[in-house]
Amino acid sequence: MTLGKGILWLVLALPSVPMTIGYAGGSADAESLLHPTGEFAARWMIIAMLISPLRLMFPDTRWLKWMGVHRRAFGVAAFVYALVHLLLYVVDMGSLQLMLDEFFALGIWTGWAAFAIFIPLAITSNEQSLRALGARWKRLHRWVYPAAVLTLVHWMFVHNNFGPALVHFVPLGLLEIYRITRVRREKT
Amino acid sequence: MKRIGLALLVLGVSGQAYATGLMSCENDRDDWRTKDELETKITAEGWKVRKVKVDEGCYEVYGTTPEGQRVEAYFDPVTLEKLLVARRGEILFRKDDKEE
Repeated sequence: MTLGKGILWLVLALPSVPMTIGYAGGSADAESLLHPTGEFAARWMIIAMLISPLRLMFPDTRWLKWMGVHRRAFGVAAFVYALVHLLLYVVDMGSLQLMLDEFFALGIWTGWAAFAIFIPLAITSNEQSLRALGARWKRLHRWVYPAAVLTLVHWMFVHNNFGPALVHFVPLGLLEIYRITRVRREKT
Repeated sequence: MKRIGLALLVLGVSGQAYATGLMSCENDRDDWRTKDELETKITAEGWKVRKVKVDEGCYEVYGTTPEGQRVEAYFDPVTLEKLLVARRGEILFRKDDKEE
């Protein structure tokens, strides 16, 4: 592992430090950690997704190239935070019946569906899978787009609070629009 | 094919999405009953209360209903009347204004 990669993993793990200390020390329970874990899962996913359109916009920026090389780390971090988020949800609910009761709420099933998509993406986020899958790897990992839409809806509707979710997703949306229009223009 | 899938997803989501809107209460601060009074009242009615906070001028309760549903519920801070019960953003109960 290079120094840069080591530092990146430390940065990705950093938000979990106060959460872990709070949980271990009893000052934070599962319910209170649902929000920060979910938020960082979404943030790392969004950052991973921002890299490509930003590189299109600023092709010669070195740190963006570096981010591009390490994009998978952001995706894996997103998955780990999402996994903890889901485990905390299960712990907080503490009952299968309670989880089933609310499963079809818009803010809930979208979260489950997004996580279901994250699983194969996380499993294949390594060199061996990349080589084994070839062109299919990219096609598989494009599933991050529907997962992002589901995550956005999950965040907006789980408490009917649109502001924070939109603050995070609007920049990504704008960059994707930029990318789509630019790719279209270059085709014609 | 993918576009159809995405369109269906958007359609399904927007179909469910209409039921939004947070509760808000307008009251004079001096009239307010305390959080403890609310908690005592609804605990006697069978609620389990985890947390009470103030949201948009209402008391917002995180807890479990007498029927065993884990919800967020809004109560009028003056009358302690139940105004709205939501589970993960899904409205389970809304006080009918016409009843007044």
